[in-house]
Amino acid sequence: MITVQFRKGDEVFSEELPENTNLVVRTGIKKFPWPHLRYGCGMGKCGKCACQVLDGAAALPEPNWKEKKVLEGRLDEGLRLACQLWLQHDVTLTQDGVSVTPPKP
Amino acid sequence: MTALMNPDEFRAALENAIKGRSANKSPFSIAWATGKLSRAHLSRWAENHYHYVGPFADYLGYVYGRMPAKYQEAKDFLLANMYEEEIGGDRHTDLLIRFAEACGTTRARVQDENNMSATTRALQSWCYAVAMREDPIVAVAGLVVGLESQVPSIYRRQTPTLREKYGFTDEEVEFFDLHIVSDEIHGERGYQIVLEHANTPELQQRCLKICEVGAEMRLLYTTALYRDYVEKDLSLQELDLAA
Repeated sequence: MITVQFRKGDEVFSEELPENTNLVVRTGIKKFPWPHLRYGCGMGKCGKCACQVLDGAAALPEPNWKEKKVLEGRLDEGLRLACQLWLQHDVTLTQDGVSVTPPKP
Repeated sequence: MTALMNPDEFRAALENAIKGRSANKSPFSIAWATGKLSRAHLSRWAENHYHYVGPFADYLGYVYGRMPAKYQEAKDFLLANMYEEEIGGDRHTDLLIRFAEACGTTRARVQDENNMSATTRALQSWCYAVAMREDPIVAVAGLVVGLESQVPSIYRRQTPTLREKYGFTDEEVEFFDLHIVSDEIHGERGYQIVLEHANTPELQQRCLKICEVGAEMRLLYTTALYRDYVEKDLSLQELDLAA
């Protein structure tokens, strides 16, 4: 099991989840981190599920081609797309102040 | 008389109904997984697959219209599923066509219904019949739990193969990648609806039966893909499947 923390304002929501968890999939079926996590297309295009990784970034897999395309230079700010991440380790995330405009096709 | 199953028992029974008739061991699936299909074979697959999955929102539209208004959450799920298939991001069938074009066929050939086999036409017709005629909860069991929820596990195996053995680029195989997320959501929501609303032994048994039939239809479709397009180039012996 892994521990996922989701910070929103002054609140911290936390839950133990199975490894290989995708937070957009979970939100889509109305489980934690629903209703806190914003997401849109679920296919790495719209950028709505972009999160800042506050802790655990080093253990995440390398960004895939969709994250590189949508987040462009913002990967350096610690942003990742939740829909593209299958989590294997503990992680702390927030969407506070995160806004991503995807590049035009 | 069969007793009403609790949600855990019913879920396990649904999973077993699907698992027993998986298409994963069919010659076409094995040829795909072992990198033995040609791009021409994959083109024929795409030209057929388009007519099976392309109308998915149409199938769900019929179920939506017949789903009782009191099941509002189920109706909302069907609507969201249709939206996500068609206009939530890239249209899913456009991504299938992108893959098809990378295989060497064309958008026109993929969209031309004359290029699907009789068996694919049968699968498509079965999906329409289920959507139009079955109890809407049984239809969700057949189309969403029985068919759509199986997609992530299939594509999770097939996508790395497409990159590593067939040499496709990430963008060319995006159709397969996106279904790992969207169909996980759709499949699980489908389970939630069926577990909640199949609330009599009779309805539960009908849901189980339609999952079995759906899996059989999918196996029939996959088997026909091998017979119609691949067998002449690749024998069962070459796939280590001869009896």
